[in-house]
Amino acid sequence: MLSLVGVVAIVWLAVTGQLGLYIHPRYVVFTVVMAVLAGVIVIAAFALLPSAPGDDHDHGHDHDHDHGPGSGRREWFWTAVTALIVVGAVAALLVLPPATLTTATVDQRDLNASAALTDQGTVEAPPADLVGSDTDSFTVKDWASLLRQGAGEDYFAGKTATLTGFVTPDPADPDNVFYVARFVVTCCAVDAQPVGVPVYLPGWANQYAVDSWVTATGGFGANPSVSSAQAIVFEPTRIVPIDQPAEPYVY
Amino acid sequence: MTRELTTRVSGAVSGRSPRFAIRGLIVGAVIGAALLAVRVATSGWDAAGLPDRVRDFATLSISVVIESLPFVFLGIVISIVVRFWVPDRWLVRVMPRTPWLRRVTISLVGVLLPVCECGNVPLARGFIMKGFSVPEAMTFLLAAPILNPVTIITTYQAFGWNDGILIGRIAGGFVIANLVGWLFSRHPQPELLLTPRFEVACRLEAAEPDAALAPGVKLRRAVGAFAEETSTMLPALIVGSAIAGAIQVGLSRDLLVTLGSNPIWSVLALMVLAFVIAICSNVDAFFILAFGSTFLPGGIVAFLTFGAMVDVKMVTLMRTTFTTGALVRLVAVVALASLALGFGVNLLA
Repeated sequence: MLSLVGVVAIVWLAVTGQLGLYIHPRYVVFTVVMAVLAGVIVIAAFALLPSAPGDDHDHGHDHDHDHGPGSGRREWFWTAVTALIVVGAVAALLVLPPATLTTATVDQRDLNASAALTDQGTVEAPPADLVGSDTDSFTVKDWASLLRQGAGEDYFAGKTATLTGFVTPDPADPDNVFYVARFVVTCCAVDAQPVGVPVYLPGWANQYAVDSWVTATGGFGANPSVSSAQAIVFEPTRIVPIDQPAEPYVY
Repeated sequence: MTRELTTRVSGAVSGRSPRFAIRGLIVGAVIGAALLAVRVATSGWDAAGLPDRVRDFATLSISVVIESLPFVFLGIVISIVVRFWVPDRWLVRVMPRTPWLRRVTISLVGVLLPVCECGNVPLARGFIMKGFSVPEAMTFLLAAPILNPVTIITTYQAFGWNDGILIGRIAGGFVIANLVGWLFSRHPQPELLLTPRFEVACRLEAAEPDAALAPGVKLRRAVGAFAEETSTMLPALIVGSAIAGAIQVGLSRDLLVTLGSNPIWSVLALMVLAFVIAICSNVDAFFILAFGSTFLPGGIVAFLTFGAMVDVKMVTLMRTTFTTGALVRLVAVVALASLALGFGVNLLA
């Protein structure tokens, strides 16, 4: 029963292209193959076994083997727990609409935390020398890395960029500064790290809702905000609200 | 348990008439279709009414479930293949006799089976049913997530030979797994470490080995075993994922990260991080690399070793097989050993 819940959830997410909301794209094929295989075996189990497998009686707890007093109550308790798990799983996996992480998680995880970005490259594939490369293809993550590495105002002078991400306030100066942010995912949404580029725009909150998606075009300049910790901010010339992209995370 | 017994008996005595099989097939298909209908019907809902935290809790928990589920399925499939189709004689011939050599050998089995740690729990259950001792299964469970090609390659890609992180992880994982195996092998009655339910299943298996069944019965029994194993593992997986999701929402990661850059607290803080984040050992190196420059190598090694062996999700999954007492001891030993390993690497590096 629970297997079927999981299998149906995975297959549906895959068919509608939303599996990427939860896991890194490199796992998608493996996940779908295993889900389909499990689905086939579970359906076969229904056909081959005298009683339906995986019904509410079969769960991973310790049965009392001595049927002394209280064992009935215990049994009842575990049945209730299992029913709760099934209901919870159905609600979470099948009823709740798929969603990305929100600003609540950005707050928990400290935007651009602890050099999360600077050394994304590995020993075998050292980080592309961002400073020297073409900025047209840069993502929020690349720009955030550059800011983080302290590429300096000279570097940013005259550069223009197009950034796509969701809106999240700068905790240090929520009135004037917001971030165009993305989550970086290495395996699945649990390990998502928020990255973002600060944007200086007083009164931004009147125009753009937190967690809504935007594409911003503009250049960089010194941060006029007094309380924000960021030295350099993005100065947008144009901000267009957009729908959430099909691939909301960056990798 | 009684039901499983009757399943076994009736399965062995009478085959099923095709009419029953078709009815079962229809029941299964109808349930599947009903679940799909629920999913499609609710797909248009807007969850914006829910608080962000609740939504993120759901997203995080679901992501753990979806990420682990294929590995659990794969682990169960491999475990069943081992149980039903690998002859007992073959295993006896291959494995050395001396207990510690057996444990060393089994801690290297992971090289052949690059399954993620959550897939190793069903596999370890399969090994115990196959007649391996409990300490041997524990050694396998702890060693396999680290001593497997995928983990070693990703760790190498992330850290190369820097600061002894790769060596520390491999050697540390191997030593800790064997240490735990040795400690538990001193236990006078290792079968007491198993949950009563699982122990009964093992005794049934020992009385009537699955591998010796006639081919037709065997397939049916194997399918049944798959259903049984999934219905044991999945509730545990879902509970574990929900706990992991809840901790992620409730616990500020800043705190752990700040502590992680402190020389004294780094090892401990990163172990706590590893325990709550419940991330697969195949990719945890990349995750921690992202924080790399702020953390000391000892903390990273402790994260990579402890997190691969034990985390919230793993503990819930292992609880299906081992008693609470056994798990507490296992986690304590692994934690202390990882701590020592982390401090050791910090001293040397």
